[in-house]
Amino acid sequence: MDSRYWKARQMNQDLEKLITLHDLDVMIADLSRKEIRHQEEKLGLEADDAQKMLREMRTEFTAQLDRRLLAQYDRLASHYGNAVVPAIGGRCSGCLTRLPTAMCSDPERNDQIRSCPTCGRIIYWAD
Amino acid sequence: MRRRCVCKWGLESSDRSGAISELLSQMPDLEKRRRQLLQTALESREQAGATVVHEGVSMPHCRSILVDDFLIAVGKSADGVAWPDEKVRIVILFISPVKPGGPEEHSELIRHFASRLRDGGAEKLFDAGGPSELADMLGLEILESETDESGS
Repeated sequence: MDSRYWKARQMNQDLEKLITLHDLDVMIADLSRKEIRHQEEKLGLEADDAQKMLREMRTEFTAQLDRRLLAQYDRLASHYGNAVVPAIGGRCSGCLTRLPTAMCSDPERNDQIRSCPTCGRIIYWAD
Repeated sequence: MRRRCVCKWGLESSDRSGAISELLSQMPDLEKRRRQLLQTALESREQAGATVVHEGVSMPHCRSILVDDFLIAVGKSADGVAWPDEKVRIVILFISPVKPGGPEEHSELIRHFASRLRDGGAEKLFDAGGPSELADMLGLEILESETDESGS
């Protein structure tokens, strides 16, 4: 299985929350996608109910987030569709721009919220 | 080309959360914190609606930015896992990456498993004699090094 390593020592708790929020948003969006919805319903899964519940969970979850951080996330998500992206091979996987070396080589790089200097997306390091 | 999976033959957990955790722990190169975040994502989806797709079969699944390739794990339980209102004996867990084309590939994987469960396919899973046979029935190729062949 071609999985990346996860070497960063520590991850900022807010960054973890943003990743969780992003995954929630992906699930909510997926249940609006015709094909995924169709497949799930064919399997007997209640896409409408699940989506409604996930939206409620999102509301509860975002209540715990720092307002400014949530505003930043929502602004990026509405502009790009994806507010949080992994850095892969030293590049922002959102805009593919090479990230500053100092940013990438910092062993504590996941220890704070960092944004791509070019597109502004929130970055986390998976390698 | 068949997708690869890990298999936990003989799930020990009797509850949904434990079974998901057991299956995620079979995944190679999955550091603890990332595993926990993926568990959170899968459990969120489950809390929004249990993914029992056939009597005795559940299919916890999601897409996540924490993976860059498909992660698939299948598990078989002798005593059943409470999911949570009905017991399942086969768990098919998968996580798809978030990338361009990701939704289509995710949908294709759901469709693939659905086709394997149709026309008596789900019932046959219960009779699988081992991890390789179970994976084969699901149209998967097993990752031998990560698969627990014991406990049958």
